[in-house]
Amino acid sequence: MTGSYLLFLLSGQLFGARLEGALEILPWRVARKVPLAYSYVEGLIDYRGVIYPVFNLAQKLGLKPQSPIGFTAQGETTPAGLQSIILLEEKKAPLGITVDSIVKMIKANEVAPDASKGDGFIRGLLYDDNKEILLLDFERLFFHGG
Amino acid sequence: MAESTRFVILSLEGDKYAIPLSSVVEITAPHGLERDKNLTEIFEGKTEFRGKWLPVVNVKKLLRMQGLPGKVLLVLKGIKGMVGLLVDTVAEILETDKKAAPFPPGVMNPSTTCFRGILRHEGALVLLLNEDGLL
Repeated sequence: MTGSYLLFLLSGQLFGARLEGALEILPWRVARKVPLAYSYVEGLIDYRGVIYPVFNLAQKLGLKPQSPIGFTAQGETTPAGLQSIILLEEKKAPLGITVDSIVKMIKANEVAPDASKGDGFIRGLLYDDNKEILLLDFERLFFHGG
Repeated sequence: MAESTRFVILSLEGDKYAIPLSSVVEITAPHGLERDKNLTEIFEGKTEFRGKWLPVVNVKKLLRMQGLPGKVLLVLKGIKGMVGLLVDTVAEILETDKKAAPFPPGVMNPSTTCFRGILRHEGALVLLLNEDGLL
């Protein structure tokens, strides 16, 4: 299946999101904190009249931030490495994910994943410049329990 | 025309929360707070209110937030009776005919009952507390 994809980097790994679901790319911003939320929830943002939950994708995937550990004044700068928020829609549910950087947009053929990989969170694979790119199933990652 | 509802806007650690004004009995200072070892950890103690003992909740502990207990006592009546909440400040009354937006999926465990939804106020998102689901 050929489609358009947005490629992004997270903890040094390349991931992709189908452009049909990628609505907006925002510079990182502080989200409204939500008490009792899952640990990987950054909070909520209100963008163009829609309330998006913002998920820390690296934390959900158990990836370590790339930036060196150091002191960061709270509220003044972005968390280690995170530069952008991608706003998506999965099965009509809006969501935002934090990523390190946006790489590019490509047209590519999506192939089925190896079923043994990724705990079912990988919905497909892409190949670009001989690199394997993981397409994540955001619905399964974020909307099926904590 | 849609019927408007009034909410008390309160703050906890700098973030705004709302609670329906119809559930608020009194906003006061927490005088004479007494410890009661029969109450669970989320309670700061009890205080006498209109001739009866009122259990007082440290909302920050309930919501697993950092910080000292608030210095304002919000007395609420709900389906389980009256309860006091310690909050940092009570700033204003919001009157709106807009309904609270539901929480987007995936944010918290669906069994969490502390919130009713989300309101918008002065360009910010305000979490609407569920007076009947806090305890």
